[in-house]
Amino acid sequence: MNEGPKTIASVVSTHREMQEGPKTMASVVSTRREMSNMQQIAYTLRVIWACMKKDIRSALSERTFTIISIVIPVNILILLSLFVVGGGYAPTAVVMQDTGPYAQQFYQAMDGAHSFRLQKASAAEANDLLQAGQIVAVVTIPANFDTSIQQNQPVQVRVEINNLNTDYTNDIRRAVPLSITSFYGKAFPNVVTVVPKEHDSYQQDTDYIPYLTVSILVVGLMLGGTLLSAIGAAREWESETMKELLLSPASRWSIIVGKMLGALVVGLASVVIVLAVLIFVIGVWPIHWGEVIGFSLLTMTIFIAWGTLLGTWIKQRTPVVALAIGSTLPLFFLSGAFGPISFGTPLTQVLAQLFPMYYAIVVQQHAFHDFTLNTYGLPVNVLILCGYALVLIVVAAIVLRRSTVAH
Amino acid sequence: MSIFMNFLRTVWVVLRKDLQVWVRQPATMAATFLPPLGFLLVQALTAVAVGRSPVALVTLDHGPKGVQMQQIFHQADVFRITDTSPEQALKLFNGIQVVAIITIPADFTQRVEAHETSPVDVRVNNLNLDFTNDIRRSVPDAITQFYQAQGESSAIKVTMQAHNLRAQDVQLFQYSVLPTLILLLMISSLVNGGLATAREWETRTVKELLMAPVGRGAIITGKVLAGFATSMLLGVVVFLLCYLLGWVQPVGIYWLTTLLTMALVALLGSGLGVAIGAALQRIQPVIAIGINVSLYLFFLAGGVGVLAFEPQWLQNIAAFIPLTYGRHALEMAVFYSSSDLFGRDMLILVACALAALLLGTLSMRRGIAH
Repeated sequence: MNEGPKTIASVVSTHREMQEGPKTMASVVSTRREMSNMQQIAYTLRVIWACMKKDIRSALSERTFTIISIVIPVNILILLSLFVVGGGYAPTAVVMQDTGPYAQQFYQAMDGAHSFRLQKASAAEANDLLQAGQIVAVVTIPANFDTSIQQNQPVQVRVEINNLNTDYTNDIRRAVPLSITSFYGKAFPNVVTVVPKEHDSYQQDTDYIPYLTVSILVVGLMLGGTLLSAIGAAREWESETMKELLLSPASRWSIIVGKMLGALVVGLASVVIVLAVLIFVIGVWPIHWGEVIGFSLLTMTIFIAWGTLLGTWIKQRTPVVALAIGSTLPLFFLSGAFGPISFGTPLTQVLAQLFPMYYAIVVQQHAFHDFTLNTYGLPVNVLILCGYALVLIVVAAIVLRRSTVAH
Repeated sequence: MSIFMNFLRTVWVVLRKDLQVWVRQPATMAATFLPPLGFLLVQALTAVAVGRSPVALVTLDHGPKGVQMQQIFHQADVFRITDTSPEQALKLFNGIQVVAIITIPADFTQRVEAHETSPVDVRVNNLNLDFTNDIRRSVPDAITQFYQAQGESSAIKVTMQAHNLRAQDVQLFQYSVLPTLILLLMISSLVNGGLATAREWETRTVKELLMAPVGRGAIITGKVLAGFATSMLLGVVVFLLCYLLGWVQPVGIYWLTTLLTMALVALLGSGLGVAIGAALQRIQPVIAIGINVSLYLFFLAGGVGVLAFEPQWLQNIAAFIPLTYGRHALEMAVFYSSSDLFGRDMLILVACALAALLLGTLSMRRGIAH
């Protein structure tokens, strides 16, 4: 904290030196101007350096907060991943009233539908599980299943569905017919002649966890970056140390850049930890390593700029924290975390493209999986992100200037 | 009697003071209140597209079977279909506007009538198993319906007879209301309770409290109640809004059980918040630890998913998380109109809330001793 007064004193002396420029002789004016420009740059760099160093020292003095803020992205990664650890398979009880070969084949067809987590149960057990909300559905294979199939007679498979959550309910409603056609496809290949013939765009499917964790990485960087910088900025106002900064002749934007760099340096630890967990623990191996590192830093920069703006604007830590946390989940769901937003509704597409998180997810999915999630192309997505970073820095500097006027 | 009245008076004064501080911070109120509403709105907007993938349908066969297949795809209500030409379909596919191109081949009718293999061509953008599996389930679903439409002459004799547990489907965003509410209550009560307590130390007003001739227990109770009141107010407003929008529909006595559960969750969070605030005595560590504790409690209790459908190891962990019981009680009351295991849920929540209060009292006493 001793750094503050020293910095301001040195900053003021440098400023005086700069103001001496017009008093010099005309013959050396141009040389002086060049010197003045050089001094201006050096002075600005010194301000940035001083602000950055001061914020890093402040962060280090608040060890508990800093350590926990650094691990927030990795916490988000772990906790949101729990959401998909079940793999989206619907827990389903099968009541086998017939245990003949066709009934067994039907059970196998259900098992291979990549939709159910099956368990065999008696009718009473299955009903209890359904009523207690432990399973999504009960599929009952009737006692006359084999006989009916052998005699080519109609037979109904009863499906009781706990239609509590349409995500699972729809899976069941579609996966049972899938099992029926799969069953016929294997048991009577010549009977069911209409079959789907699939061609995939990518050589192999990407599972829920590898896909979603990349999107979660972005949301983690967002929360970590926003919190680190927003609290750093708001603290200056709450502890009234902002007055000292504003009284110095330092330019507003150099203060903002310095504060952002301070948060970025601390946030780098966060980036390293979250990437290490994603790559080495969860096992999502990136295809483009350079892009992963570059885009992670760019994403962190954007959200640090956003946090700085938020902290400068609101000036209080409590609402800043509430807003940072509260906006995380809505933006996560809005920004195409689960798939390309073009598969969603037109309104959500428009809304998603207003926020940088969407573009950050697009570029990170490309970096990790080589996926193309929109038609803008990678350079345009990166340019948009750079634009967000620039605009946020400029707006933060403007807000800081306006705050000065207000005070 | 006068001791009791003094206690109540002190509780009321501390409660009123904390509420006044809260009311004078509209930014905090807005920042706590708006994001959960935003989340629910986003869920409602995105829910329209859940499970209904956009596909391009190319019908090259205009014979009776080809047209019938096309109609079945439309009636299936599992896709958002764009009828188009092969060239336009490819354009949509390459522009990532559709998940798949489904092509009914030109000789479809001929092949079906000749009992020859009749493939329906499906080109899938398989970048994400979520969407890919939707298509893999939905196309066979449509094919099954195609056979069913042929009546007794159908080759497929096995049909599905579906019965739903409830009259109306609960949409994904409706289902998300209760977990969101739990998260709102927990974060709001824990962080607000913690900040209100830590602020007394940072602004050094705790000295004034200590010098006052009042019992410590009354101060702590007042602070816990203030955190509880603000969080409960937010929770009730969000819940009523969701009720007015028709997203949640508790009936009769289950209104009471719903409110009771919400109150206990808020009390638990507030008690924990005061405990953390008194133990740390500084705003920033309280924020950091408060957020992490809230997120862990929320996600380990099932988060935005369905706990019962998660792996057993996760359910075993959740059994030790108090929010699991709050969420269970709420879901039973709102979605099942049931009081199944209500006694157990309330007992655990009350015990945890009391434990949090005790922890808060101990932390505050230790803090005061400093």
